[in-house]
Amino acid sequence: MQRWRPAVVAPWVAAAVSTVLLILTTPWSDGGDSDFLDGRQLRLMAPAAPGGGWDQTSREMQTALRDLAGRTEVYNVAGAGGTIGLSQFARYDGDPTQLMVMGLIMVGAIESNDSPVTLDSTTPLARLTTDYEVVVVPADSAVRDLNDLVGRMKQDLGAVSFAGGSAGGVEQILAGLIADAIGADPGGVNYVAHSGGGEALSTLLSGRATAGVSGVSELEGQIKAGTVRPIAVSSADRLPALPDVPTLKESGVDVELANWRGVVAPAGISAADERALEDLVVRMTQSEAWKETLQRRGWGDATLTGPEFETYLRTERQTVTDVLVKMGIA
Amino acid sequence: MDQLLTGFADALTPANLLWALVGVTIGTAVGVLPGIGPALTVALLLPITFRLEPAGALIMFAGIYYGGMYGGSTTSILLNTPGESASVATALEGNKMARSGRAAAALATAAIGSFVAGTIGTIALTVAAPLVADIAIGFGPPEYVALMAVAFVTVSALLGPSLLKGAASLVIGATLGLVGIDTLTGQSRLAFGVPSLLDGIDVVIVVVALFALGETFAHLVAGTGASRVEPLRGAAVLSRDDFRRSWPAWLRGTAIGFPIGSLPAGGADVPTFLSYGLEKRLSKHRHEFGHGAIEGVAGPESANNAAAAGVLVPLLTIGLPTSATAAVILTAFQSYGLQPGPQLFTESGDLVWALIASLYIGNVLLLVLNLPLVRVWARLLTIPAYGIYAGVLLFACLGTYAAGGTTADLMILTVLGLVGLLMRRADVPVAPAVVGLILAPLFEQQLRRALALSEGDWSVLVSTPLTVILWIVVVLALIAPGIFALYRRRRGEPAPAEREHAGDPR
Amino acid sequence: MTEDQERAQARASALLGLIMVVAAVVVLVDAANLRESDDALGPAAAPTLIGLLLGVLGGALVVQGVRFLRTPQGSALDPRRLRRLAAMVALLIAFALVLPILGYVVSSAALFAGAALLLGAPHPARVVAYGWTLAALAFLIFDRLIGLSLPTGPWGF
Repeated sequence: MQRWRPAVVAPWVAAAVSTVLLILTTPWSDGGDSDFLDGRQLRLMAPAAPGGGWDQTSREMQTALRDLAGRTEVYNVAGAGGTIGLSQFARYDGDPTQLMVMGLIMVGAIESNDSPVTLDSTTPLARLTTDYEVVVVPADSAVRDLNDLVGRMKQDLGAVSFAGGSAGGVEQILAGLIADAIGADPGGVNYVAHSGGGEALSTLLSGRATAGVSGVSELEGQIKAGTVRPIAVSSADRLPALPDVPTLKESGVDVELANWRGVVAPAGISAADERALEDLVVRMTQSEAWKETLQRRGWGDATLTGPEFETYLRTERQTVTDVLVKMGIA
Repeated sequence: MDQLLTGFADALTPANLLWALVGVTIGTAVGVLPGIGPALTVALLLPITFRLEPAGALIMFAGIYYGGMYGGSTTSILLNTPGESASVATALEGNKMARSGRAAAALATAAIGSFVAGTIGTIALTVAAPLVADIAIGFGPPEYVALMAVAFVTVSALLGPSLLKGAASLVIGATLGLVGIDTLTGQSRLAFGVPSLLDGIDVVIVVVALFALGETFAHLVAGTGASRVEPLRGAAVLSRDDFRRSWPAWLRGTAIGFPIGSLPAGGADVPTFLSYGLEKRLSKHRHEFGHGAIEGVAGPESANNAAAAGVLVPLLTIGLPTSATAAVILTAFQSYGLQPGPQLFTESGDLVWALIASLYIGNVLLLVLNLPLVRVWARLLTIPAYGIYAGVLLFACLGTYAAGGTTADLMILTVLGLVGLLMRRADVPVAPAVVGLILAPLFEQQLRRALALSEGDWSVLVSTPLTVILWIVVVLALIAPGIFALYRRRRGEPAPAEREHAGDPR
Repeated sequence: MTEDQERAQARASALLGLIMVVAAVVVLVDAANLRESDDALGPAAAPTLIGLLLGVLGGALVVQGVRFLRTPQGSALDPRRLRRLAAMVALLIAFALVLPILGYVVSSAALFAGAALLLGAPHPARVVAYGWTLAALAFLIFDRLIGLSLPTGPWGF
């Protein structure tokens, strides 16, 4: 009887119970109502911390894909403009169940971080959304409009400080492009980098920086409340959300920049898998859930797939590399 | 006030109370685990909550948020393994108390302190938010430089008996803080081409390595694995004397935590260290510091929770998410069609008040659930050390993996664990390293930002009244101990032994 | 504190100081290789300062430790203890390597069992059962319930 003491038996009972629970909860086939990829589960990497644009995109995709491809698993690999996630993603060579959200920021980060892994190690599937940038000044700033700001930049480039997100990110690229377009030296732009839009905004609100650059959807509330004053947007045409704000081009600065986000698969997947995944993503962008998402988040629909997307990617890479080299950060 | 009551009415339905319970439970669970903070948890749960009505989802998030803050203190006190940087200060005295058999008292003062701070913080959030936000907006890079200087001066209390060893630890932390991409220029420093190092070494990994792994390795080397950590002693959970010493510390911790938490770059860790320093300086029982002084638990733990409420000030008043958790809560707001920004309060008042009411309910629930459990938790210490530390190792690795998501992070964890062991063997305190890791990069970034904005003019550092006041505080903090000593001598009191045998400063 | 313990402490101080001095050199070399910017304080300023402090404080620790150790007769650290430590480090590295292949539950249960045995647990079989239960519960809560995606083996957990 001695060997059946509770102290001896209890751990084994607990282990057995937990094993049964594990087996019961293992989703053997949760392919939804689709036979896509033989019902295998898709895994989607958000190469950033929870809460940011890529994380939001991934989680919205997860919701929109539910009806089309069943349960999709989203996970975060944060850091370094997405290049840490990218270097890990490159290991899934040939696996069509792995996807990763990416965008312009990653294109820039690859250059500025000298990342050993580039987007060549992926199969680009589609561009999904765009979010434009807006140049703002504090509400009580003496800067009237973009022309005024440009005038000050021409006079003393270093005295005009831009507060924005991470070094080599979209905001710094935009500041560099503006300087380049007005004939100033992009390398001399006084850009003060912050680890996030919120932090940059707080520096701007403290009145220390001349201007701020940020995503439109991030600043919409501040603009409406009047704490910051928008002076230009980076889109080709005026934005529905900010109809009174002129584009950079209207103000005579020939720059257009979209903070686009897209999705890629690993390199080395079969052509058939690539087509199937592209088709899936396109169907997702046509779903009601996705349209509602774009509306709610204030993202522009920018669906672009196949060779067109690959060409676009190449030109974006060229533009970004050029300006980053001129600014001395690539 | 009416609105707050409406908020309570929205939040206080049986279904919502159930969600609060779920939230608090999950929050405590993730808080206990290093690396898996409330931000990640809320992000993971967002898709589920889309199907909930807003009040239900928000109340669950609030529970997770405060639960996470609370859970961290339990492991800090019992196992000397803080799960995040804001719990490090709690571990310093809390674990010493647990080792002398007073775990229940330490847990109780942490629980009540969290409740007091959370309550006052929530009230302050409703009453003083706009005022605090006004001051917070004024904080630009020069102000942060001055604030960090205040923090650096104050943390000398953490350095332990040997100045050389304390400073060595501080610099080791600062060195770890250098690793990764330089925010201002985008160049990588000390990353040696390793992708996992590009984004810097996560504070969580350093905390887990230096505390949890260092402790485990120390037991391994000493061969004390079969011992029990500490049997329970003492009947009362919180004696009258404990209470008398705790309550002023709760209030002081709250007073430090809330305003600094509400600063856009304040965070919850800086105020906990400030509070520890303050308590040590003010305490009549200074000789107990380093051996388990209850003020050293009560103060930092309240500061931690008050800061958690403070973080919501910029979020709700100016729509500025200043922490990862705040950013995720903002995402949740957006998914209910709310626009982040200064008009959050006016445009979506109902939801905001429901959130505030939820925070309060979460707080009460935490106290009600945790106070009776204090003795249960404390029993954890009767498990033999090999069981505890094998479990700590398991959760430390889980947390590290969750924080970084790569196996390289586990390697970094192991290496830093060995550094932690060496520091322990050399009697070098590990807490200053965490302080250095947090403060040094902030100080560097803000200083360089300030200078970039002023085009290299150093006078920007004293350009506003606020900066001047903060620098005066720095000077006062530097000369205050000397003046105190002089004053005591005049009155014929024996000066407190400055170099008392603080024993084991870990 | 006995003399032996003091000697051990002095030895550890000296070793830590030595590592700090080596790290100081690495930090300073790394700082020297950074691209200078035209800012008042460039990216190399902080590493240079910290590198110097690291070197000075590390040097002081070495001096302090060595002065104490000058007295002869040194008994090295018990090799059995060092072997245990080496085994633990190997276990952690092995855990990091097999985690993506064998999945969270199996690797963690092995880690728990290995660590507990190294720490001196008396009943090997029971430790395995405890480890398995703990790992399985952690996986159930964090992966299945909360949705944190932990690595899985071919068997799905």
